[in-house]
Amino acid sequence: MIQLTEETRAGWHVVGVRGRLDADSADQVENTLRAAIGKHAKVAADFAALDYISSAGLRAVIQAARAAQDKNVEFAICSLSKNVKKVFDMSGLHQILNVQGELPC
Amino acid sequence: MGIAQTAATIRAVSSGLLKGTRPMWHNQAIPHEADFSLNGNLSELERLAAEVTRFCRESSLDEDAEFHLNLVLEELFVNTVRHGGCEGMQNSARVRLLAAAGGVEVEFADRGLPFDPTAVPPANIHAPLDERRIGGLGIHLVRSLMRDVHYRRTGDWNQMSMILRNL
Repeated sequence: MIQLTEETRAGWHVVGVRGRLDADSADQVENTLRAAIGKHAKVAADFAALDYISSAGLRAVIQAARAAQDKNVEFAICSLSKNVKKVFDMSGLHQILNVQGELPC
Repeated sequence: MGIAQTAATIRAVSSGLLKGTRPMWHNQAIPHEADFSLNGNLSELERLAAEVTRFCRESSLDEDAEFHLNLVLEELFVNTVRHGGCEGMQNSARVRLLAAAGGVEVEFADRGLPFDPTAVPPANIHAPLDERRIGGLGIHLVRSLMRDVHYRRTGDWNQMSMILRNL
């Protein structure tokens, strides 16, 4: 189960991701992030309410980050929960993605 | 301890799952088991998570253990659906979990194409974004969270056994 919210504030388009980012929900999240990256100069993924992520979820985030790089869009991944941070750390993703402790806005 | 629980313990001991462990007549040491099958469809992930939650509650395992078991089982299961040819297959995978004195033992079996995850070379988790290969990440997570990972092919089944690391 995944719930997505979107809002724009202080120049940032914030995509809130709540629930489980697994193989079943990864496509939906990737599509939403890519659509936001196609329309906005600054996109933040708010993971504060995301309590689970698997490699399929990591793939969605990596693909979104690549799209952002291609389009020169600023893309920040914010407020990781303990479990999600652990998976990012185990995969070495905190080194290659713009991971922030808090939302930039 | 009731008769049903005693019988379950004896079954677990005689099935060989508890090899090397001695049964102890104390509540904490009663082995808890889960045994369930999954169909080859990603919508089964919800049921998988529910089964893992139930098993962890009954076995008094903490949230970390639950999260790690969920992650490992999703990685193995999704692999069989996406790459092993299990998509659409009824009862394509079978999961057995046992909370024993020596740790949580996991057996995962699937009727997919022969695939030995222990033979996959380690993922490069230091590659930059452009060069990052996504393929090996799932197996990398399994290896990070589990120890004593063994694989064998028996008939139509891939069979893996492993033990949850204490992280």
